[in-house]
Amino acid sequence: MRKIVLVVFVSAIASFPACRRGPTIDAAQVTAVAVSGALPIEDPLAALWQRAPEHPAALVPQDIVEPKLMQAGVARVDVRALHNGDWIVFRLAWQDATRNVLAETGVTSDSAAIQLPIQPGSQVPDPAMGETGKAVHLLYWKALWQDDAERAAGGGKDRVAALYPNATTDHYPFLANPSAQDEMARRYAPADAAGNPVTRRATPSPVQELVAEGYGTTTAVATQQALGRGAWRDGQWLVTIARPLDEGDGLAQLGVGHKTFLALAVWDGASRQAGPRKMRSVWIPLVLQAAPGR
Amino acid sequence: MARVYNWQLGRAMDYWYSENRPKRQFGAVFDINKCIACQTCTLSCKTTWTSGRGQEFMFWNNVETKPYGYYPLAWDVKLLDALGPQSWDGAKYTGRTVFEAAPPGERVLGWMPDAIDYASPNIGEDEITGSVDKGLALSLPQQVWMFYLARICNHCTYPACLSSCPRSSIYKRPEDGIVVLDQSRCRGYQECVRACPYKKVYFNPSTGTSEKCIACFPKIEEGIQPQCFVNCIGKIRLQGWVNPPERAREDNPIDYLVHVRKLALPLYPQFGLEPNVYYVPPINVPDPFLIQMFGPGAPAAVRTYRNARHDKTLAGLFTLFGSTERTIPFFRIAGDEAIALDDDHREIVRVPIYEPLFIRPAEDSARRIIRLNVT
Repeated sequence: MRKIVLVVFVSAIASFPACRRGPTIDAAQVTAVAVSGALPIEDPLAALWQRAPEHPAALVPQDIVEPKLMQAGVARVDVRALHNGDWIVFRLAWQDATRNVLAETGVTSDSAAIQLPIQPGSQVPDPAMGETGKAVHLLYWKALWQDDAERAAGGGKDRVAALYPNATTDHYPFLANPSAQDEMARRYAPADAAGNPVTRRATPSPVQELVAEGYGTTTAVATQQALGRGAWRDGQWLVTIARPLDEGDGLAQLGVGHKTFLALAVWDGASRQAGPRKMRSVWIPLVLQAAPGR
Repeated sequence: MARVYNWQLGRAMDYWYSENRPKRQFGAVFDINKCIACQTCTLSCKTTWTSGRGQEFMFWNNVETKPYGYYPLAWDVKLLDALGPQSWDGAKYTGRTVFEAAPPGERVLGWMPDAIDYASPNIGEDEITGSVDKGLALSLPQQVWMFYLARICNHCTYPACLSSCPRSSIYKRPEDGIVVLDQSRCRGYQECVRACPYKKVYFNPSTGTSEKCIACFPKIEEGIQPQCFVNCIGKIRLQGWVNPPERAREDNPIDYLVHVRKLALPLYPQFGLEPNVYYVPPINVPDPFLIQMFGPGAPAAVRTYRNARHDKTLAGLFTLFGSTERTIPFFRIAGDEAIALDDDHREIVRVPIYEPLFIRPAEDSARRIIRLNVT
């Protein structure tokens, strides 16, 4: 009898979700260094980054909800942060042997994200995308979106032409009637017609702002202000992600001198990582250093 | 995982969500024996829905030659190989479904194709199983064989695409059971592309989202069959509504073929999705292949089909295929005519079951000559 009771107790512990996914906080912290003037918002290689201390953040595979990431990917992201009292900019650096930008079947785009708790205080939500009633604010950078903007600026080659530069197509019906081109192009692009925020981008910025209250709930916010830029060189991504400290109600407020938290995630396109198949960190304390004289 | 009942397997099985059948379920029967792979269905779909940028290699409807045709490449054999032994005990499946065989960390046993796998939609076209040796006399089933397999989304009762989506962007319409992908919600993770065993969800690199067959639901809502049905020149397709077996009706054409006569069979039922496009299996193909592809009922279905023209109800029902644009929820046989009926049992169309047949004897006895067949 005693044996049976013990077995039931052990299995109850093993199946209790909080044991597996309770909030966890890193011992070290990220300090956003106060600087005056312009921030290197779109310059991950700027000399100014040397002024910010580097925090090596350990990443673990997302293994809480299915589909899980069963093979570990990028194990560490080095994060630095700067702020000027109005904006904060982070720089994430991680090793990635391949630069995956364009997504097609079986290939995803290299991506990274920063997560911030929306409610202030030390009671952080679940580090894995927040939880009901405890939303998180996400800043999601995607190499594909940066490439879109760069292609648009450099001649306008679209994603299909970039993927298959030597391909020819006999005929697209929507090109036959110039007056109906827009209407038909949208007819054959239902995600665009439906206003999907991953297709019909609100801004050319490669960073999208979202909120979430748990897995599968990410929703783009109405006003997109975040900026950033990634540079891949010598097997390493260096990516800046920036946002205003104050983005109004409903989003994470960042105050100079205050302490909050951030969490990080990285997706490796070559390993087909997307959505829940990602490497993620626990919560890391984030302090915005008070500016001298403020 | 919930436990749900899959009548095609004759047993309960694991599924990501609990059982929740729609008010009525889109269903279809394809008579493989009549398909000539003209691809008119493919083109009617393509011009209607997938002629855009990023959809170049996207065919919501395709027709492939079996056994060596695949779109995308090796879509079925890869999964069959991964799934392991697929044994049946009579009408009960004793192997594992793609849900039950899901590896650790996954919701479904699937595989992710590469873009190149879509590059040859007509690979294996018209290829037969082997060489035709000198002196070979053909018999049924044929020693060397091939057949055409027309495929659309099966609008499954237990869709793997739906269960695999981390964002719940795919849903089954409660009014007609059509499986649709919310184009405003998808973020292009491609989990559905990986999970669908029939590989009928496609990633669009231009929009960055996945897309799939919508069973032409704007037409269905008007009581009209989808584009690939009404444009089929071989009249191999019939769209209607399929009930679970305990609610099968003899006057429902899909129920009659699927449940009453067990003549139309699901494609790879062992995957466990309860697909709702049913096939009259080809009569020229050996049983082991048919059983693997359509389940243990295939040999009996072939026997029933070979006798179908002498069976007035079956022969009549097959004449209603391609006889009207309208969806045919009910039918009846009256005398020498088959009659299609709408939801209120009003007549849609009536078709003679047998065309008048005139036999011109080879010998003209009046002139005492043998006629030459010059056609």
